[in-house]
Amino acid sequence: MSKKTANMTGNKSMIDRLGGQKFIVLLVVIVLFAFFNIASPNFRRYTTFVSILDYSYYITLMAIGVTFPLITAGVDLSIGTGLICYSLMGGYLIGFCGWPVWAGMLASVVMGILMGCVNGVLIAVLDLPPFLATLCTCMINRGIGSIIVGGFGISWPNLSAPGGWFRNIFKIEINGTLVPIGFLWIVIIVCIMAFVLNHTKLGRYIIAIGSNKEATRLSGVNVKFYHIMAYVISGFFAGLAAISYSAIFSTVQPGTGAGFELEAIGGAIIGGVSASGGVGSVFGTLVGVFVICLLKTGLPFIGLQANWQQIITGAVLIAAVLVDIIKKKREKK
Amino acid sequence: MGKIKQNPFVKKVGFNRIILCFVLILMYVLFCAATQGNFLGMSRIMSALNYVYFLGFLSLGVTFVIATGGIDFSIGPVMFCSALVSGYCFMNYHLPMGLSLIVSILVGTLFGLFNGYLVAYWSVPSFIVSMASMNIAKGLASVFTKTQSVSWPQSSAEGGWYRNLVKVGNIPVGLIIFLVVAVICAVLLNNTKVGRYILCLGSNKEAVRLSGVNVKKWEMIAYVICGTLVGIAAIFYVSAYTTVQPGYGDSYNNEAIAGCVMGGTSMAGGLASISGTVIGVFIIALLQEGILALGFTKDYQLIITGVIVIVAVCSDVIARRRKN
Amino acid sequence: MGDVILTMKEIDKSFPGVHALDHVNLEVRRGEVHALMGENGAGKSTLMKVLTGIYKKDSGTITYEGKEVEFQNTREAQEAGVVIVHQELNMLGHLTVAQNIFIGREFKRGLSIDDKKMNEETQKLFARMNIDIDPTETMSNLTVGKQQMCEIAKAISHKAKVIVFDEPSAALTETEIEELFKIIRDLRSQNLGIVYISHRMDEIKVITDRVTVMRDGSYVGTLITKDCTKNDIINMMVGRVIYEDPKSASTVPEGAPVVLKVEHLNAGNMVQDISFELHKGEILGFSGLMGAGRTETARALFGADPVESGDVYVNGKKVVIRTPQDAVKYGIGYLSEDRKRYGIVVQKSVAENTTMATMEEYMAGLFINKKKEKDTAQKYVDALATKTPDVDQLVVNLSGGNQQKVVIAKWLTRNCDILIFDEPTRGIDVGAKNEIYKLMNQLTAEGKAIIMISSEMTEILRMSDRIVVMCEGRKTGELDIAEATQENIMNLATREIS
Repeated sequence: MSKKTANMTGNKSMIDRLGGQKFIVLLVVIVLFAFFNIASPNFRRYTTFVSILDYSYYITLMAIGVTFPLITAGVDLSIGTGLICYSLMGGYLIGFCGWPVWAGMLASVVMGILMGCVNGVLIAVLDLPPFLATLCTCMINRGIGSIIVGGFGISWPNLSAPGGWFRNIFKIEINGTLVPIGFLWIVIIVCIMAFVLNHTKLGRYIIAIGSNKEATRLSGVNVKFYHIMAYVISGFFAGLAAISYSAIFSTVQPGTGAGFELEAIGGAIIGGVSASGGVGSVFGTLVGVFVICLLKTGLPFIGLQANWQQIITGAVLIAAVLVDIIKKKREKK
Repeated sequence: MGKIKQNPFVKKVGFNRIILCFVLILMYVLFCAATQGNFLGMSRIMSALNYVYFLGFLSLGVTFVIATGGIDFSIGPVMFCSALVSGYCFMNYHLPMGLSLIVSILVGTLFGLFNGYLVAYWSVPSFIVSMASMNIAKGLASVFTKTQSVSWPQSSAEGGWYRNLVKVGNIPVGLIIFLVVAVICAVLLNNTKVGRYILCLGSNKEAVRLSGVNVKKWEMIAYVICGTLVGIAAIFYVSAYTTVQPGYGDSYNNEAIAGCVMGGTSMAGGLASISGTVIGVFIIALLQEGILALGFTKDYQLIITGVIVIVAVCSDVIARRRKN
Repeated sequence: MGDVILTMKEIDKSFPGVHALDHVNLEVRRGEVHALMGENGAGKSTLMKVLTGIYKKDSGTITYEGKEVEFQNTREAQEAGVVIVHQELNMLGHLTVAQNIFIGREFKRGLSIDDKKMNEETQKLFARMNIDIDPTETMSNLTVGKQQMCEIAKAISHKAKVIVFDEPSAALTETEIEELFKIIRDLRSQNLGIVYISHRMDEIKVITDRVTVMRDGSYVGTLITKDCTKNDIINMMVGRVIYEDPKSASTVPEGAPVVLKVEHLNAGNMVQDISFELHKGEILGFSGLMGAGRTETARALFGADPVESGDVYVNGKKVVIRTPQDAVKYGIGYLSEDRKRYGIVVQKSVAENTTMATMEEYMAGLFINKKKEKDTAQKYVDALATKTPDVDQLVVNLSGGNQQKVVIAKWLTRNCDILIFDEPTRGIDVGAKNEIYKLMNQLTAEGKAIIMISSEMTEILRMSDRIVVMCEGRKTGELDIAEATQENIMNLATREIS
């Protein structure tokens, strides 16, 4: 029996398997960043850097959330339209019902949690296939969001307006320079969620469900509860993502949002989450999302418009999965 | 171990089909009543039929994919991509209409090939391939048409003969074509080697492989069939709606899958019904028209369709559970 | 043996259309190993599921430790000290050994799980049981045998007072079985009550104190192991004596041609430099322990798994087999080990399964000639005496033995000259077993050649003309049936080539 570095706090096997992939993806991020820097002088500006981060928050938050359903060998496709729906809801309450901003933020998150419960019940209790259930809630989200605002776009308060303080959560102006402190929160959240995944019962049981749901159930674990929780987490983070989206974008339009989940799920998978469940890392997701964000913001700088970015994102996702598959095939030998 | 006397598939689908027809008629009656008879108009029916055509082909296509146990929700964007690319060829490259129609079918088929190849030969999970394809289709369409929208000709204009595929005077030619193709699909699925292999591999891929069958080929073919039908759907879409804009197409995925699932096709694979899909499509189309007729917006359509699919799949799951 | 710890009395349970348990009795004492035997479908698993609360009994009483109980679920049973070690391993491949053992009852340190303590406790548990496994190893990296050891350790760590072993030795090597028996004897001396469900007569004789036999859901009787013979037990199981002596000599005619020659086949660790020959009309038994590489060899030969190197000759001509399609083209058929997963298409009928490998013959132009399909299927149902109401019946509704017959029919329609049967009678009751043996002899009499992989010594000795023995991926020996004995086969099966 081979002597592996026995790390008595366990989980060494997952790190073994993922450490490799995370590293590779991190290298890819660095290479891409370097490439864009060299290829375009405009890219090198500080404002570009801030802008990349700005546009990354909502995807990162969605991705962190969706990592959990993915680990259970499921998926949550409703996060994209969900994000828009919760944002519209919150914005409506603030703009048209006179709610204070913090209440609107809370409302967004609560709605996310509620939708997460719905998804969770459909999938864990009623046994619906995850992609179908979340595809339906995706449609329902889109409909609800549009109905609430009567089909028109909504804006959350500007910086100058009362209540606009919430935008400062993500970006502060200090002495004329914009400081993207949102990234700090992201790092903290990632650390917390990594801890949750690897060292708490919640995370452990979610991994167990993804590994072998029936065995976990027979071991006396309340599988239904933890399975639902995976989707509640996803919904919760979609709610958080809604807030960050509203903070960065000036207007939120109903009918948008479909396609966001691709970036979030793609990022998670590139970062090492396996679509077949049981394997996943929050740090990996973070790094994977950065690949997507870099491509998204960087490609226009070398002259490729949004449509190319769509094609490339799709291609990158497939490439990432293929790499994972080829690696697994080689390991089998 | 409970022994089921009769082939439950026949029993199930037969029963289901009757229920579905009943639902269809019931819905129609309800809508008529709710709109105080305003629903019966010819224009309404024509409008609903327009919807049935392209959605019908989408649903037929995705039935084959779901029968293998996979999923394809790139069908909407691929349909748009086909429509845009072929329309652009017609408008800007002056390709004759006949060839343009073939281009449309070709584009759909190529995407089907792409999806099928990755799923069958590389074992990439189908939903990931779908997601990626979806984006690639949207992007490709945009790039090809240089982000311009495309307008197909009217029936009076040059090349407008394609509209005869849908309607000649008041005869719904499109309906006839759709039903004929549906029959072909049903025969394909139930009475040919292609269909047999597709259904079997959806039920137990490894057992079929170990029987000496080239499962990879047949799984890919399921996706190719889907792609071809999507390419055909595009033709019917543009006949009805003339102008196509890049960047759209997402919503039709769900409705196509809804029609398929409601008709009794199991998401687990191995069990599929073309007749069920056809009825399912009619129900969805009727639903859309009915909701509009009652004065609700498209948003309500989305919500209701979502709820209906959930209910339909739930009943499928419950029925399966009871059997076990 | 101590006093009675568990009594199941007059247990009755019915499912729609099936009377699964008909007034069944079982009495387990402390400090005894009590075998539970019966053909497939006799109700052994059902009885245990009623015990641990997975099923609710219709009537009857369960008395545990003097009190009447009715466990609502496995967790309740576990907490009371009644544990089952299942046949199908319930493990979480992505987690570590320690995490698996303590799933559901993790040690907490504040908010987080104390993985360190779990690893230490697991180490202590393993030391007590003399198991050498690293607690921090990922479960899926272990061999099946080691995984089962972990499963057993997990059951024991639940402070069990009654442990039920459901076919525990099926996946273990000979050494591991010895270790298992050591553990069981140890548990027995600690006054646990142990129920041992197994098909393997020889083990029953070695390790158990009493035997309870069930048949068709009914309780037949209980015997004291050392006072009864194998025939007595079989008699109770089927109601007639079937047990026959091993084959005395090869029935292959002199000078029979070599239909299959394999030279230096290499396919990973499990198939190393395998060479053998197969003659027309011969049954070549492949013996060895679990994990010897026999299934892997068969699969590599059949093209189901990739091959690194080696040559295969069919009827003297060299062939290249890369996929099952190729193999089938050359007249080779393969009945895999796990028929539910690899043999039958559950959603399809008997007729459709029968023609799966030969669809071309049932085509009328573009269409399937369904009548021809059904006629052919019916022909085989009659020939093989497959118990099914009609050929449109879904195979999932047939019993194991009859499902196996459908799979055999599939290969017969292909008219394969070379058939590889991988554990052909596993999980099949004694009656059906004999029918399959009869069939195999018929086939060889017709001139077909069969490779029979089997883990049952009696089966190997009874059916083979020659025997190839494998151990850990290598061929360790070849014996003619006339000179083969259980001992020299076992010797070869456990010898390691240095």
